[in-house]
Amino acid sequence: MNTSQNIITFLSRQAVTAATPMILAGVGELVGELSGVINIGIEGAMLMGCIAAYTVTGVTGHGTVGLLAAGATGMVMAVIFAAATVWGRADQIVAGTAMDLLGVGLSGMIWMMYQNWRENLGFSTALPHGSGFSPVVIPLLHEIPYLGPALFEQYMLCYLTMCLCVVAWWTLNHTRLGLIIRALGDAPEACHAAGVRVRLGRSLCLLFAGACAGAAGAYLSIMQTHAFASDMTGGEGFVVLALVIFGRWKLPGLVGGCLFFGLINSLQQTLQTARYTSQNTALHALTHVPFQFFQMLPYVAAIAALAIMSRKSPGPRYINIPWPSTKT
Amino acid sequence: MMIRRLFQRMCNAATAVTLAVLVCGAVLTLAIGAAALLGYPPLRVAVLWLHGAAGSWYALSSSCADACPLLLTGLAAGVAFRAGVLNIGAQGQFLMGALVAVALSTRMMICHQPVLVIPLALIGGALAGGMWGLIAQYLERYRSVPVVLSTILLNFVALYLAEAALQGPLQAVGTAAAQSPEIAGKYWLPLFVAYTDFHIGIILALVLAVLLWVLQERTVFGFESQVVGLNPGTAKAMRMPVTWRQFQIMFISGGCAGLGGAIQVLGQVHFMTAHMGNYGYAGIAVALLGRLNPLGIIFSAGFFGFLDTGAFRVEESSLALPHDMANVIKAVVILVMLVLAGISLRRSRRVGNPGSSAPTETPSA
Repeated sequence: MNTSQNIITFLSRQAVTAATPMILAGVGELVGELSGVINIGIEGAMLMGCIAAYTVTGVTGHGTVGLLAAGATGMVMAVIFAAATVWGRADQIVAGTAMDLLGVGLSGMIWMMYQNWRENLGFSTALPHGSGFSPVVIPLLHEIPYLGPALFEQYMLCYLTMCLCVVAWWTLNHTRLGLIIRALGDAPEACHAAGVRVRLGRSLCLLFAGACAGAAGAYLSIMQTHAFASDMTGGEGFVVLALVIFGRWKLPGLVGGCLFFGLINSLQQTLQTARYTSQNTALHALTHVPFQFFQMLPYVAAIAALAIMSRKSPGPRYINIPWPSTKT
Repeated sequence: MMIRRLFQRMCNAATAVTLAVLVCGAVLTLAIGAAALLGYPPLRVAVLWLHGAAGSWYALSSSCADACPLLLTGLAAGVAFRAGVLNIGAQGQFLMGALVAVALSTRMMICHQPVLVIPLALIGGALAGGMWGLIAQYLERYRSVPVVLSTILLNFVALYLAEAALQGPLQAVGTAAAQSPEIAGKYWLPLFVAYTDFHIGIILALVLAVLLWVLQERTVFGFESQVVGLNPGTAKAMRMPVTWRQFQIMFISGGCAGLGGAIQVLGQVHFMTAHMGNYGYAGIAVALLGRLNPLGIIFSAGFFGFLDTGAFRVEESSLALPHDMANVIKAVVILVMLVLAGISLRRSRRVGNPGSSAPTETPSA
């Protein structure tokens, strides 16, 4: 195997690993937004997923239980959000901000109390050995040159996410259900006339989004890092929001955006270390650049990509407009 | 006539404040109940909380000092949202303001007179925040990148830029961390009550809030920017300078956030790290709770500062109740107020235009 192949293999694998939680949360957010509800508080739901997965895995010793708990917690957050926005007609931006605060606050509180509780019992707060997930290597397929490891040496949840993407894309574009979901956000009156219960439909879309965000949180805490820290999502939920707009409310666009973001991110991480070891003078000259400029790269690249592509899409028409539009 | 309208307005504000106080009381009771459920003595939590946030002049001053940056980032979000400019970037603008203020008061010394350095640092901070905001508005206007999106991304760019500067040219001597040196004592914002945290930045922020209220409610500029926010099409048809207004609003908004950062470093913390708290993001919640009204924002910022300061004192006490409790309470208050009072970005009811943010024509089924 030559070096360039090595680099491509490594970068692509890192990119997919980093992009998975964003894709997962993004698919949920996309479905929610298509049905006419924008959830700014997805970061809060992700954080709740992180802490739920971590604590439940820590107590039970089973990662799968933790993952399910994270999904359920995300759905609980979605129930609160749906109750406020879909049924209570609250402004979605405001309620989303509140959900973000709620997630940050609750997860921080639970984390401190969990630590106290475990220490009083004399247990470590680390995950029990072997209870977190490690990557699953799919035999034979992972030996495909270049992209094999990227697609077939990932966490179990990553494979599920790939399946989810395909299923969600098919559903949104080629089934009656997908048509209904898109109509909920574009023409709720038509849905209503066709006998679809608009508020119920939107609530179900939000529940799906919540489960996705929770699972994405679990990916961060019990798969990628095997640790929890308060505010560990570090704004990833906001990046997901941005990427949904970036993909112009289309699933392939969203996935492409996430992969692009993940790729630039893994590229900058590699560059950061490579510049010290490389014999290449051009690379070596980069040692004088502060590493923060590398960390900045994905965000700058995203802005640049948007500025160059420069085509505005209005998105679903009924985002942040409650149903029915006149209160009776 | 004018006085009568003003009086009505104040009555409205009074009802809102009363409602807010009632809700806060109910939620605090609930929170203390929850604390009891979790095994913390409820009465002691309540007493410690109140004592820590308002039990003495010093406690009161630290609540106010914590509310001060929130007030400014809240104004930033409020001014922008009202004009339909969805500026989520107060966090980045706050950081840029703080960065420039620190640079002007520790490294780039043009002169050494506090009388000149302090205003210079404050103005520099505000300008830096404003300029950082203008980038997003430029991208929206000329490159069709939605402001919501670019401001989110620019927050992260600002964060890393600040870290790079704080670990490079602005780094304190003798540390490896991304941290600026302490600002010399003579450049701190003067206190107006000795031995407390009451610095003049608080007064400055309050004055600014009142000025912004006047600007929004009593000037052509305020009216036009509101129309631009409600319906850019109408504004254009009425020959209002839509683009220009949006740029101005973004500059004012970013300037408020940047000033918040400058006041925070000069008045309160006296040095800078890139992780000075999520004042920018919290500002959005402050603005929305204050119903985008600068005077309402004063109250909601005060409320947030009060909660935060009290929560930290309870955490520091022997009870060690996690301070994140404060965030949970804020979230619950916003959610309850939302359903009760209908805080909204859609100001349709007040203006009487039900389709303000809805598509203009009725979509065909």
